[in-house]
Amino acid sequence: MRCIARRSLLKLSGAGAVAAGAGGLAGILAAGRAPVFAQGTTLHWLKFVDFVPVSDQLIKGKLKEDCRKALGIGLEVETINGDGVQARITSAIQAKSGPDILMAVSNWAQLYADSLADVSDIADARGNAEGGYFDTAKAVANDGKRWLAMPFTILGVLLVNRTSWFAEEGVKADNFPKTWEDFRAVGKKMKAKGRPFGQTLAHAFGDGPAGWYPYLWSWGGKEVEADGKTVALNSKETVESVKFAVAMWKDAFDEGAMSWDDAGNNRAFLANTISSTSNGASIYLLARSKADTYSTETGKPLKDDCFHAPLPGGPAGQFSYHVPFSNLIPTYVADPKPAKEFLRWFHSKDVYDQWFTSQQGFSVGSTKVWEDDPVWKVDPVMAPFRTAAESGRFAGYAGPAGRAAAETISKFIIVDMYAKAVQGAAPEDAVKWAHAELVKIYAG
Amino acid sequence: MPELTGWAVVVALLAATVGVITASDKSRSRWGWLLLCLFVPPALIVLFFLPALKLYGPGEQPWRRWVFFRVPISAFVLVLLFPFYWMIITTVRPDKELYRPWQAPNYAPFWTAHPTLDHIRDLLTTTLFSTWMLNTMLISLAATAISLFCGLLAGYALSRLKFPFAGSIGTGIFITYLVPQTLLFIPLSDIIRNFKLGDSPWALILTYPTFLIPFCTWLLMGYFKSIPKELEECARIDGAPRWKAMLYIIFPVAIPGILSAGIFAFTLSWNEFIYALVFLASPDQKTVPVGVTSELVRGDVFYWGELMAGALLGSIPVAFVYSFFVEYYVSGITGSVKG
Repeated sequence: MRCIARRSLLKLSGAGAVAAGAGGLAGILAAGRAPVFAQGTTLHWLKFVDFVPVSDQLIKGKLKEDCRKALGIGLEVETINGDGVQARITSAIQAKSGPDILMAVSNWAQLYADSLADVSDIADARGNAEGGYFDTAKAVANDGKRWLAMPFTILGVLLVNRTSWFAEEGVKADNFPKTWEDFRAVGKKMKAKGRPFGQTLAHAFGDGPAGWYPYLWSWGGKEVEADGKTVALNSKETVESVKFAVAMWKDAFDEGAMSWDDAGNNRAFLANTISSTSNGASIYLLARSKADTYSTETGKPLKDDCFHAPLPGGPAGQFSYHVPFSNLIPTYVADPKPAKEFLRWFHSKDVYDQWFTSQQGFSVGSTKVWEDDPVWKVDPVMAPFRTAAESGRFAGYAGPAGRAAAETISKFIIVDMYAKAVQGAAPEDAVKWAHAELVKIYAG
Repeated sequence: MPELTGWAVVVALLAATVGVITASDKSRSRWGWLLLCLFVPPALIVLFFLPALKLYGPGEQPWRRWVFFRVPISAFVLVLLFPFYWMIITTVRPDKELYRPWQAPNYAPFWTAHPTLDHIRDLLTTTLFSTWMLNTMLISLAATAISLFCGLLAGYALSRLKFPFAGSIGTGIFITYLVPQTLLFIPLSDIIRNFKLGDSPWALILTYPTFLIPFCTWLLMGYFKSIPKELEECARIDGAPRWKAMLYIIFPVAIPGILSAGIFAFTLSWNEFIYALVFLASPDQKTVPVGVTSELVRGDVFYWGELMAGALLGSIPVAFVYSFFVEYYVSGITGSVKG
């Protein structure tokens, strides 16, 4: 936590008129209670730059002011691109100095478990009040003994599809393929017309795992047994999944996607070169916010030619991999109380609701209560995201989403297993290679 | 005359290349064919009959010069400049055209009919780009000055003075340059915290020399070795102390080497990313590489127009420095290579 600078202190408390003018006293009176912390307490919150710019504007503007009035805490929000966050967290934890609250993606909380303050009190209270957490949110932020981090949100991942192109094949949102076989059959026809599906096989930190982990699970494949130690990847189910993926890739997918980063499928879909891709709502929301910029090949707005659908299922069921975010309070923060109070306040229904509404459905919330939010009634195209998180699993299945699972994601072992096979390796060999890699990771 | 003819061939070949590209674009094929017809036949004729024209004196081999030097170097320059051209064209291309596929009708990948300055305006008004430029300039200049000063003294000492372990110290310095920054940023974070330098330009001004000093030292060591010892010895015989011989004899001769080390150090500081990302937190303290990617890459959506505008404007100071000192720079590099 950082002490406020002398000049800022003068600005804040120099005269009553200044405070009143800024709404300080009025705000305190309106809140009906005195601020919890003395004026001068400042929190530094490091977070991802939000895909929805208005959400960051809300936090840096109105919510920052509300926080000052309600808690007496000055909020200093630093937003940076996702690729840089892990380096910042690592250096802060190592140097035992840095932001008071750090936003983590996926299961990074497990990587830094020993250096994180226990937030069980605020996390449990919120979970009880809001109908419980989704499994994904809990798997990444709870180590089975305590809450390592306060779940922030989950970004839903679904297939975004071209309405008119699928309609030509007789496919609509309500009869969208439920199995990989049907999906492949439709894709084969569409690829023949120059409208392939798109799914990266490269090291794209979001789209890679979000596409291939649920595919593996749907065939019955899994990284480890429930004990979290016995590697179980090399199974008949996994080999079958790889064999099918190789054929489906050739039949239905854009083969250029071998080199796509996270932005690759966005670019291809917005450029009308692919008909379907697994993604968050970013493609649709961008097409909607800039309807004049993004159009179909016939010139009509692209936003009017999109629908969302869940990934197809396999012999073992239908699964998804949604991307969870959580906030960490490191132990180097001398007094974690203000940070905890801030997170408790931010996740109170009225405050979080403002942020959630600004997301327009891009975020599905970490707790089940947000499934009933009116935001889902605004745009029918976004409606499938409402219940998306219910089918979510997380990496490391059937074991916990611990350190080894995080390392497996960051080394892209599962994605590379499919990539090797698609590039010509025998499916059995690709699975054997990935299994051996997992054995090394889980042994360490 | 022969020079002009030769360059005419190069221009004609370039125009023919543009013609081929344009002709492959259906909407503009007429222009492409026109360019092809206008330039290719004369270019081929000149290429075929150039020797017959006997524009060169006896003993000269004009074919060799054109085929092995000028035409390849033109192609090379074209390839090297293409990324800058792409940055410029993406900067001025309206959003509507940015996501058009190559096979779309009326698609012009290499130019735009509707140039716009919106991306530059957005970059300058919605982000703190000008502050980032100022920060980057200040940090790069200060880090370069410190590194050059230390590198000069160390380079001179290691190449000219005889003392125990001089060779192994030189190798040691070189090895420190090989340690990747992705490993060093973690222990350096500790040091930055201990000295309470976090989130200030000093964090970078004092950490950049950790990789710049070894670099400058090695470059300058090589250069100093290429300067004859006799120059210095003459001054010493005339009664100049070592520091005077160094300052008034060796350093002026070594100016090309010093400038090239300075330019390299400046460029490395300007483009540095990981330390700037880790040690700076406030938006108004950031440098260009970190600021631009923090603000203009949102999740899986890249704001290409603004990103390219940032890259373009950010590369101007470096290009400016290079263009002023290019001759010294080239002779500096060749000098050190000779050593």
